[in-house]
Amino acid sequence: MSDYSFDFYYVLSGFSRLLQGLVVSLELTALAIGIGTFSGFILALATSSPIRVLSIPARLFVEIFRCTPALIQIVWFFYCFPMLANVFWSPFTMAAIALTLNLTAFNSEAYRAAIQAVPAAHRDASVALGLSKWHQAVHVVFPQALRIASPVLVSNSISLFQQSSLVAVVSVEDLMYEGKMLAVETYRPIETFTTVALIYFGLSFPISQLVNRIERRNARLLA
Amino acid sequence: MQPHRSPAAPFVEIRDLRKSYGRGKIPVLNGITDAMAKSDRLVIIGPSGGGKSTLLRCMMGLEDIDGGKIVLDGLNYIECQERGRTVIDRAVQRQVGMVFQHYTLFPHLTVLQNLILAPLKRNGERKPTAIARAEALLSRFGLAEKLKSYPSQLSGGQKQRVAIARALMLEPKLMLFDEVTSALDPELVAEVEAMISELANGGLPMVVVTHDMGFAKNIATKVLFCADGVVMESGDPQTFFSTPKIKRTQDFLAKILHGNKV
Repeated sequence: MSDYSFDFYYVLSGFSRLLQGLVVSLELTALAIGIGTFSGFILALATSSPIRVLSIPARLFVEIFRCTPALIQIVWFFYCFPMLANVFWSPFTMAAIALTLNLTAFNSEAYRAAIQAVPAAHRDASVALGLSKWHQAVHVVFPQALRIASPVLVSNSISLFQQSSLVAVVSVEDLMYEGKMLAVETYRPIETFTTVALIYFGLSFPISQLVNRIERRNARLLA
Repeated sequence: MQPHRSPAAPFVEIRDLRKSYGRGKIPVLNGITDAMAKSDRLVIIGPSGGGKSTLLRCMMGLEDIDGGKIVLDGLNYIECQERGRTVIDRAVQRQVGMVFQHYTLFPHLTVLQNLILAPLKRNGERKPTAIARAEALLSRFGLAEKLKSYPSQLSGGQKQRVAIARALMLEPKLMLFDEVTSALDPELVAEVEAMISELANGGLPMVVVTHDMGFAKNIATKVLFCADGVVMESGDPQTFFSTPKIKRTQDFLAKILHGNKV
């Protein structure tokens, strides 16, 4: 071990700034989750649609966001998109767009897999019961798919909260950004970044435990 | 126009039914022709892969067919038209109910919700009357206290009985049972078979696919032996089981009755 002596005084004195940053991080995350949970479902329907003008662009969208780093996505929306589209919105807005689209793509895959995981026998049973395609979807397939998808949706949301730290790169004043500033100003990077990490952990860990609980409940209920 | 029904016409008529999977590559039904009267309980037996379940699935309208037709109660039900298009009369389809080998209760719904889903959504029945009917049906079959249970809280036998009750909620004129006891633990088979027997005694026309020869004997008014996608032999259960005519049936029965699974 090195003989580094920890001193949290400066971090604690700058703690309110970290909390301000945390509020921004949470706003970004909440916005992305709020929209991405719904838009992911719509996108999942589009990707599995028999109509190719819907399914091909939808799949392309999903693959682009799955196969590029989130950091590039954020940077691209911050630097490139405004020039191409000639719109100049705040860094927060651009970051929110990038994160929301990213989560939409990942949630879409969660929903698609969940819809496919509903046993085909239930479709047969629905036909035997004379349920229309619409009733079958709304009352049989989607409610089950939602339950199957829920642990993945929650864990995607946790990931998104972690990835929201990348927006610090494009000068959105989130928790990571404030931490970076504080570390530079106090010359106490170890204490500062450890504190920042603990904040991310402290908020994510309970929710990741929730994922386990949902999985256990699903295993029991959907057996 | 649907033709009028003559008094002599059979209740269900299957004419030269053909079905293959994989664009005609794997034939499963090679021209099934049979008929049953309203008083009949048709039991289909035969080796695995012989087309029993496919026949039943076709009768439920779950499969496209490649040829032939099915007439129910004098009404054209399923027909393979020119260019191989399968036409299913949905109104006739609604008169047929089916229970499957693997429990197909919807796991996110309670027993009661499973029962009333189709009556509410499909038939637009009012909720209080649907609930009342469901309660009556469940208590008739000794499932009253399971009303609010989820399928995962039921035994296999209870699940199948609930699945049968769910089908009965739609008051089908014809019931199809596709190996409904095959997935059950042996000690749970009796309760499901008893329920089907009760329905049989109540005069519900049914087609039953089963591997349980004892059950087949008890319940059948007519037995069909299907193999290689055709009806090899058919007859009343007495004659069929005591003096089967063809070698294939004799061998099959010998294997089954001596405890060797086919």
